[in-house]
Amino acid sequence: METELFVRYGPALLYGFGITILCWLAGSIGGVIVGFILACLNRWGPHALSWVIYVYVEIIRGTPFMIQLFILYYGGPYIGLVLSPVQAGITSFVVYGSPYFAEIFRSGFNAIPKGQIEAARCVGMPETRILWRIILPQMLVPITAPLTNFFIILTKETAILSVVTVPELLFQTQTMAAETFTFVEPFLALSLFYWLMVLVTGWIGAKVEQRVTRHLKRA
Amino acid sequence: MSKEQMTTTADDAIITVRNLSKYFDDFEALRDITLDVKRSEVLCLIGPSGSGKSTLLRCLNFLEQYDGGEVHLDGELIGWQDISHNPRKPLSGEALRKQRQHIGMVFQHFHLWPHMSALDNVAEALTSVKKLSKKKAKEAAMAALTKVHLEDKAENYPANLSGGQQQRVAIARAIAMEPQVMLFDEPTSALDPELVGEVLSVMKDLAAEGMTMVVVTHEMGFAAHVADRVAFLDSGRLVTCVPPEEMFGREPDDARVRSFLQTYRERNVV
Ligand SMILES: Nc1ncnc2c1ncn2[C@@H]1O[C@H](COP(=O)(O)OP(=O)(O)OP(=O)(O)O)[C@@H](O)[C@H]1O
Ligand SMILES: [Mg+2]
Repeated sequence: METELFVRYGPALLYGFGITILCWLAGSIGGVIVGFILACLNRWGPHALSWVIYVYVEIIRGTPFMIQLFILYYGGPYIGLVLSPVQAGITSFVVYGSPYFAEIFRSGFNAIPKGQIEAARCVGMPETRILWRIILPQMLVPITAPLTNFFIILTKETAILSVVTVPELLFQTQTMAAETFTFVEPFLALSLFYWLMVLVTGWIGAKVEQRVTRHLKRA
Repeated sequence: MSKEQMTTTADDAIITVRNLSKYFDDFEALRDITLDVKRSEVLCLIGPSGSGKSTLLRCLNFLEQYDGGEVHLDGELIGWQDISHNPRKPLSGEALRKQRQHIGMVFQHFHLWPHMSALDNVAEALTSVKKLSKKKAKEAAMAALTKVHLEDKAENYPANLSGGQQQRVAIARAIAMEPQVMLFDEPTSALDPELVGEVLSVMKDLAAEGMTMVVVTHEMGFAAHVADRVAFLDSGRLVTCVPPEEMFGREPDDARVRSFLQTYRERNVV
């Protein structure tokens, strides 16, 4: 393996890795926020709205991410929405991820026994307070694993952003491969970077899970 | 004592239920219930499974929206804005929360919040609803836990408490709000037999202190010895509401009451 290759392309790869992390973090955190709002609106909002949300969730979950990205990036300008590749990448990540996150939150809401919420109403607690104090802390238990899982899936979906020329990791790797006619080294490096992200995400997920399940341990 | 003397009059009643009816879709769960609960009275609700005991109790704090009739607590209409308006409009969340603070409720399955310690379960509404300072709330919560003899379990999570202890925390959570009345829905039905006594004893203490209590129960011993009156429900109707001596002391007039109590007599409970 030629170390000289990595000296030359190292900065580009690292830059790509940075862009990947940026798109992934901004996109999935945005997705979590939008997903959470969708799940709340679905549960507490007017009935008509939950129907709209249902349609949105079905459409987004029913189409491939790459198509959504294409439509946003190449179709956007037709309705006056001109985005840079990175902006389009992050936005499409939010759009793509939010329905999955919304579903995870919905299942989390449903995991809280109704009686606990009734007990909170009986002592006069406001609904927002019930959400923050009773529902959210407990629903972290069932949703941490699926959330971690989906974050991990999204790390690898970032590779698709290269099709709209986002200078992320795969894009840089392909450039390196094309210019140097090497394949093993660049793609090995690529795998290592993804593996690192998955490892760290999984580790954080496990830590969070440990923390939120503390109260379930019998002394 | 004659029946007339025991019948409540509207003046000393804290809860008045007038012609209450409740439907679940087409199913009539409660029909034309009229009932008063006096201040400091202990009223037990008994009856076969599915007769509407829980539904009646849950109408009293508007966990179930009743369809017809009225429920008043201390003169105030519970749940609805005004009943002359058709269809009825429920109170705002804010107004309903105010009413509910005066009505404590204890459930068959405790419904403690498992991610909070016993103390925090009791203190939560004291800070978030009564707006006490953290310190004041903890003190008041501790006082409530002491009342149910659980001061040494304050830091335990519910998972580390027995069923009887969990139910006593639930009672502490309710009484810490200093409600005007307490509603109990089969508070001992989910407990192992050896744990029933500790919960009933706490309830007896409450009754002795003059707390107004409405108790759905299958503990005929409690109904017979602690209740001031016992109401019998069947198929959503109030069959009778009499002092326990009358309910349990002699052969009941009503065939439904007779056959219901017969099953308990056979087990020597009453
Ligand atoms: N949310 C609901 N939707 C539809 N039907 C209901 C609902 N809640 C109660 N019911 C019905 O209303 C009737 C009365 O129920 P309720 O729970 O009040 O009975 P109960 O006397 O408390 O019985 P148990 O002793 O078994 O607790 C039952 O036939 C029940 O099936
Ligand atoms: Mg019941």
